[in-house]
Amino acid sequence: MYLIKNATVHIGNGTVLQQSDVLVEGKVIKEVGKNLSAEGAEVIDASGCEVFPGFIDPVSSIGAMGIPGRYLDNNEATNPITPEMNLRYSMDPDEVNRQEFYKSGITTVGLSPTNNNIMGGQIAVCKTAPQKMKERLVKEHAGLKCSVTSSVKETYGSRDQLPKTKMGIFFLFAESLRKARAEKEEKRTEAQKVICDVFDNASMPLFVAASSKTEIDGLLHLMEKEKVEVNLVDGFCFADSLKQIKEQKVGLVLGNVNNCSQIAKNGMDLSKLCELVENGNRIAFTNSNGGYSEGREVFIWSAIEAYRAGVPAEEVVRMMTEHPAHMLGIQDRVGTLEAGKDADLSVYTANPVTSYAAKVKHSMVNGEVIF
Amino acid sequence: MDKILIKGGTLYTMTDGENNIFHGDVLVENGKIAQVAPEIVCEDAQVIDANGNYVLPGLIDAHTHIGLFDFNHDSSVDDANEMTDPVTAAMDARYSINPKARELKVAYEHGITTMLFTPGSGNVFCGQAIVAKTYGDNIFEMTIKAPAAVKIALGGNPKNTYGDMKRLPMTRMGVANVLWETFRKAKEYLDKQNRGEEQDYDANMEAIIPALKGEIPCKIHCTQYDMITAIEVAKAYGVKFSLEHAWGATDYLDEIVESGCDICYGPIATYRSPGERRKVDVEAVKMLDDRGVNVAMITDSPILSEESLYHHIGEAVREGVSQERAVRMVTINPARQLNLDDRLGSLEVGKDADIVIMKGKLGLDTDAKVLYTMVDGKIVYQA
Repeated sequence: MYLIKNATVHIGNGTVLQQSDVLVEGKVIKEVGKNLSAEGAEVIDASGCEVFPGFIDPVSSIGAMGIPGRYLDNNEATNPITPEMNLRYSMDPDEVNRQEFYKSGITTVGLSPTNNNIMGGQIAVCKTAPQKMKERLVKEHAGLKCSVTSSVKETYGSRDQLPKTKMGIFFLFAESLRKARAEKEEKRTEAQKVICDVFDNASMPLFVAASSKTEIDGLLHLMEKEKVEVNLVDGFCFADSLKQIKEQKVGLVLGNVNNCSQIAKNGMDLSKLCELVENGNRIAFTNSNGGYSEGREVFIWSAIEAYRAGVPAEEVVRMMTEHPAHMLGIQDRVGTLEAGKDADLSVYTANPVTSYAAKVKHSMVNGEVIF
Repeated sequence: MDKILIKGGTLYTMTDGENNIFHGDVLVENGKIAQVAPEIVCEDAQVIDANGNYVLPGLIDAHTHIGLFDFNHDSSVDDANEMTDPVTAAMDARYSINPKARELKVAYEHGITTMLFTPGSGNVFCGQAIVAKTYGDNIFEMTIKAPAAVKIALGGNPKNTYGDMKRLPMTRMGVANVLWETFRKAKEYLDKQNRGEEQDYDANMEAIIPALKGEIPCKIHCTQYDMITAIEVAKAYGVKFSLEHAWGATDYLDEIVESGCDICYGPIATYRSPGERRKVDVEAVKMLDDRGVNVAMITDSPILSEESLYHHIGEAVREGVSQERAVRMVTINPARQLNLDDRLGSLEVGKDADIVIMKGKLGLDTDAKVLYTMVDGKIVYQA
């Protein structure tokens, strides 16, 4: 049992409690409040510190690449439609451990395929702390990772296979849906079963890499009448398609904006995030851009860019915690500091959204102090 | 010429010693800093009120490829790597730079007024790096020093380039071999020249001579244990040098300190994987700074964005570097590395009037932002 005392506690849902405590029992949070006490609990003095729920990167390539190896384990680039692939089988715990994610407060990542297939496979969510595999796996089949970016046409077009163009990508996307639905149930392939399950039963949300306006508009047009929940990934030109994004209320997992100068390249107007916040769209950050993740630091940097652009600090915190948890359907376990949820949290010396001096003093995952 | 008086800001002069941060005024005249003092009276000057804000020398990013790796089109263009021979020391970066690159505007809007532009790291001797201001529309007019450094690269980049072609160097020992051989030839070439002996003109050797003479430094791309090779060869030829990127420097602190070299650390934020990326240890900048090494923070822009220079300084602060020391890593430190501290890097009389006025503390407040950027006494950006 741990009792974290006298901290500024960011619940993750926009609420901030001053001078408060967090009581952890076993793997879960038992209570959050003022003047808590518990016999036998180890006390962690967090005076002057700020406690945050573990941050969540919903679409990470790290942990699924299997580096070094001749072929990346999250890139089944043999067929543009591979929705049946389960990222759990590519989970490389050492690759996750090596990143020391806890130093940046990131405790959960959604392992994802690259952007090279239109339907790449199913996201598996895992904790970042070096613990046993069964402790780490939060959820498999958490989302279907798709892509309509130029990565797809570069991958298959260079082999003179469909799709070689943007219209080729959307044609194949729509055709795969139509064919799966048209096939008799008993005759459906594994891929077609997954497609029907996702699009007709909304069994898991979509995470679709789309970056340019053409890609975003095309995707939203294609998904207009579908009931599946859609989250854009990367979305560097989101501000150019604001109207549609607001109307369809899709989520946005903003790619690593500092990588390859995305803000300058795309003339990004990050202040438009404020309109999405107001409209109630879910927003999250990822270390990845173009299907490849960079190091732990960039997660905070993207959050800082949003804050610099005018998003209120506590809204930014929600984008690092509560929003991605909801996107992945794991909000019953992580994303906020509330009784009954996994004890995944970071004790920071200051608020990392507003101050560069903020440093992780302690990190806890599944109730275990790992740092 | 117009005079500008910046009144009442907190001045980060970046000079050595005590009292280098104080409340005061800066007078700019004819593109240069004319006076820096707690109180300046000048009646015929345009006045900028800097009260409540911070006044800093223009920031310097000492390692970028902006306009050479050109991301301003649908697909990126690589004009940074003349990967046709491992020794292309004579290549002049200026001819590859797209002066219309959007990143340059981002740079001066973020107070970054000077940059070193360097060829990439695909060759062992990659070419000549140059230093230029970030504002202007002709790179040759923007340039303040060319050549500014001999760019050298060790490790995976050159070995993959030539390994794929089944040519030397395919290995790290091959890279070391090219390094030793080329320096030996350059030294021989210089000796002959000094003795007045006739020899065929060799543009690559001519390009290395300024480094051998100590006129410009070598900027050596290396990480992890490649640092040992870089230090060994550079010391043998007595060249002034900096280690570029320098991931893994915490494992080689003694060697770095003893060699007297400079460090350009960054970009931070690559994922960690076995090999060159196994250790990305930004805490090294604190340890090196404490031991008296001249450390600059770099973005490698456009590989990482120019605005990420703020995050780079911030990460240094997170690791315990004081905010003032961190700001030095993007002002006076790189100015000294490039031997341009007579013109850049601090608020001192006679230096170029490259001045930034900021709201918020750079490197500490994440929302610190530029209110004014001045290059050569001209206001080029105003929020």
